[in-house]
Formats: sequence, C-alpha cells, structure tokens
Amino acid sequence: MNLKSIYKLGSPPLFYKLCIVLEPWFLISSILLIAVGMYGGLFVAPPDYQMGDAFRIIYFHVPSAYVSMMAYVYMAVSAIIGLIWRSNVAFSLAKSCAPIGASFTFLALITGMLWGKPMWGTAWVWDARLTSELILLFLYLAYIMLHLSIPDRSKADRATALLAIVGVVNIPIIHYSVVWWNTLHQASTISKFAKPSIATEMLWPLVIMILGYTLLFAAFLSKRTAAELAVREKRTRWLQTLIVGDKNNA
Amino acid sequence: MMKVLRIIFLKDLKVSLRRWSDLLTSFILFVLVCLIFPLTLGNDPSLLLKIIGPVMLVSALLATLLAMQNIFRPDVLNGSLEQLTLNSYPLTLIICIKIFSFWVITSLPLILISGFIASSYYVTGNSIFIVVLTLLLSTPSLVHISALAAALTVAIRYPGALMALIIIPLSLPIMIFGAKAIEFSISGIDASAPLYFLLGMMFFTCSLGPMVTAAAIKISID
Repeated sequence: MNLKSIYKLGSPPLFYKLCIVLEPWFLISSILLIAVGMYGGLFVAPPDYQMGDAFRIIYFHVPSAYVSMMAYVYMAVSAIIGLIWRSNVAFSLAKSCAPIGASFTFLALITGMLWGKPMWGTAWVWDARLTSELILLFLYLAYIMLHLSIPDRSKADRATALLAIVGVVNIPIIHYSVVWWNTLHQASTISKFAKPSIATEMLWPLVIMILGYTLLFAAFLSKRTAAELAVREKRTRWLQTLIVGDKNNA
Repeated sequence: MMKVLRIIFLKDLKVSLRRWSDLLTSFILFVLVCLIFPLTLGNDPSLLLKIIGPVMLVSALLATLLAMQNIFRPDVLNGSLEQLTLNSYPLTLIICIKIFSFWVITSLPLILISGFIASSYYVTGNSIFIVVLTLLLSTPSLVHISALAAALTVAIRYPGALMALIIIPLSLPIMIFGAKAIEFSISGIDASAPLYFLLGMMFFTCSLGPMVTAAAIKISID
C-alpha cells in the first residue's frame, strides 16, 4: 500500500462507495462470529468454579467495553487526521464514531451492573473501571452535545476534534486517578504480554466475541459514515448521479 | 513583548474589576455552597471534617465554572479578541496571560477565604494550611480546563450546562487528589503525595492548556 492510495481514501465519492460496499460484509461476518462466540460462550465453555454460570455475561461485557474504548481512540485519530488535512471524510468518521461508541459504553455499563448484582451484591459499587467507563460515556456525550450546539459545521468539526484529542490524552489520567482507590474489579483476564489467566475453552469464545463486536462496530460505522457523507455532499453532482441516476442518459 | 503582555494583563484586571458584580457572584456562590453543608448536615464536627475536602473542591469548581463563562465571550463580541489573533504576538502567550489574570481575579479570593471556611469546619492547625495549599495548587488546573471549555463553546449563546459537561469529566483527577490531600492531612497522614500529583497536574495543564485553548479560539473565531 503506497501513500497515494491512502490519500485517495480522502475523496468523499470513493469513501462513500467503499462504505456502501463493505457494510453488508462487515455485518454478515460479525453476525456469524457473534453467533459462533455465543454458542461457544453459553454452551461449550465450562462454568466458572467460583461464579458458576453467571460469569458468562463476560462474553457481552468485555467486548462492549473493548469496543467502547477502541471507538474513542478511533474517533480521536480520525479527528487528528481531520484537523491536519481538513478532510471531510475524517470528520464524518469521527462524528459517526461518537453515538456508536456511546451506545457500546452504555452496553458495557449495563452488562457490568447486571454482572455486579450477583457477584458484589449491588449493581453499582464505584469500582474503578466501571466508574471510568461512566466518565467515558460523559466524554462521548460532551462530544455529541458540542457538535450539536455549534451551528457552523466546519467549526463544530474542528472544535469537537480538539475535544476528542484532549479527551484521549486525559482518559489514562482519569483512569489511573480512579484506580487509586481500592478497586473491587477483577484483574484483567486477557493481556498481550502475560499468559492469559483463563482456560482455553473459556478464552476462544471471548476472542471471537471481541472480533464480532469490532466488526459490528465497523458495520455501524460504515453505515453512519455513508449517511453523514451523503448529508454533507448533498449538493454535489456525484451523489445526485449515484442516487437518482444520470438524467442525461435517461 | 513584555509590555504588550502587561497591558493585556492590566486591561483584563481592570475590565473584570469594573464588572465586579460578576466576580462577586462567583465568590458568593463559593461561600454559600460551603455554608449549605453545615446547615443541612447539622453541627457535627466529625462529619464536617469528613466532607470538607470534597465540599471545598466542588464549590471551587462551581465558582470557576460560573466565572469562566465570561473569559472570552465579551472580547469575542466586541471584536478585540479577533484583533489579538491577528497581531504578530503568539496567541498562546496572550491566552496564557488572560487566563492568569482571570485566575488572579476569580480564584485568589477563594483561596484567601478558604482558610476561614476551613476553620469554621473545625479544621485546626497545620491542616488549614493544607486546605489553602490544595486550593492554591488545584485552581490553576481548574481555570485552564474551564478556559478550554469556554473557548470551545464561545460561539454558543448559553454555554453553562455544556461547559459543565466538558469540564467535570476532565477535572476529575484534580477533584480526587485534592479531596485526598485534605482528607489525609485531617486524618494525620502525610499529604505530600496527592499534593505532588496536584502540582504535576498544574504544570501539565498550565503548559499544554493555553496552546489547546489558543487553537480552540482560532477555530471559533475564523
């Protein structure tokens, strides 16, 4: 892949078509992966020796938490690219990330609370990681609200891009200052650097679920970005010919 | 260069002092929020000693939030900020000096009165000094974060709630460590670790904050 083909992605018509073409593939593969992961997680994996069958919510909780953080980083990276190259495509990507990421954050919070109820006795314990997930939700909401309240779209794009960058710098600081309390949350079970502290038959469904959720995020993102690009480029010729068809030929 | 910065600093001080009612409002808000808690919780020294840290920081945050809504807005409306972005001096420095003058006007009174409020919460001895020191170290960070939020929302007519939504998550570390510092010193533990963290955050926000705020101003104005 050379630089030129990356630059080409910045052209709205090409990216719009790419989104439209890729979206069903992302969706189908994510549904397949989630189905396989669900079967593996709910039927194949043995019950946990401590938590019994209740641990199985991990197959929904961890993937949504993973996607919620990945989406924020993705949003910030798109925002940086947008700020540097003033690219409409990158800004559309960043803007489309926010509501999807916020939804996954909400999902992670809900599943975490459902998991906490039988394990900790209460749904909410001000545990460090749940709390920083909640803060992440507020950062997403701030981004969305700021975008909604600035009428000029180009200004809104750039102002929210700054906010996303500041947020991504701040998330680790916020996270570690919250961790500074005693935390109830179990230690992370999958790590790149250490041998995972989880049985293989429990691990593979989790990995497949994470992949499936990531692809689901990609599917939602391409759909939203295509719609966002269509709104932004509604006056251009390429979109009109793409949707209505070429009137000169008819 | 220094002359220009001094002129901007003195001008901001003067303008803010002329609009003294705004200043007084945020100062009174700080005092009132601090007073509500003893009145509603009851006159129990052990309880008051437990809550003074969070109360101090939350009231300082609210007062800063209220005061900082007006840091850039009047200058944008009368066009003087646009002139400042057009001249040859770096905007980051100008923003820095503006934020500093706002800190002097809005936060310094809070810091001065905080010792008295602490003693009304039955804080004694060295801990009063720690309360004042905590506010001294945390208000610069709060002011810088609020300035960034004010710069991002400068085009919006009623930015208050949105500013709160932006500021509160970002200022969470300062809240946590500030409250910890006061709590530690009252329960007799060495409070230097959270104070060092606050100092670090202060340098972090004071060095990078004005740059980001200047970028936000440039976006909002052009």
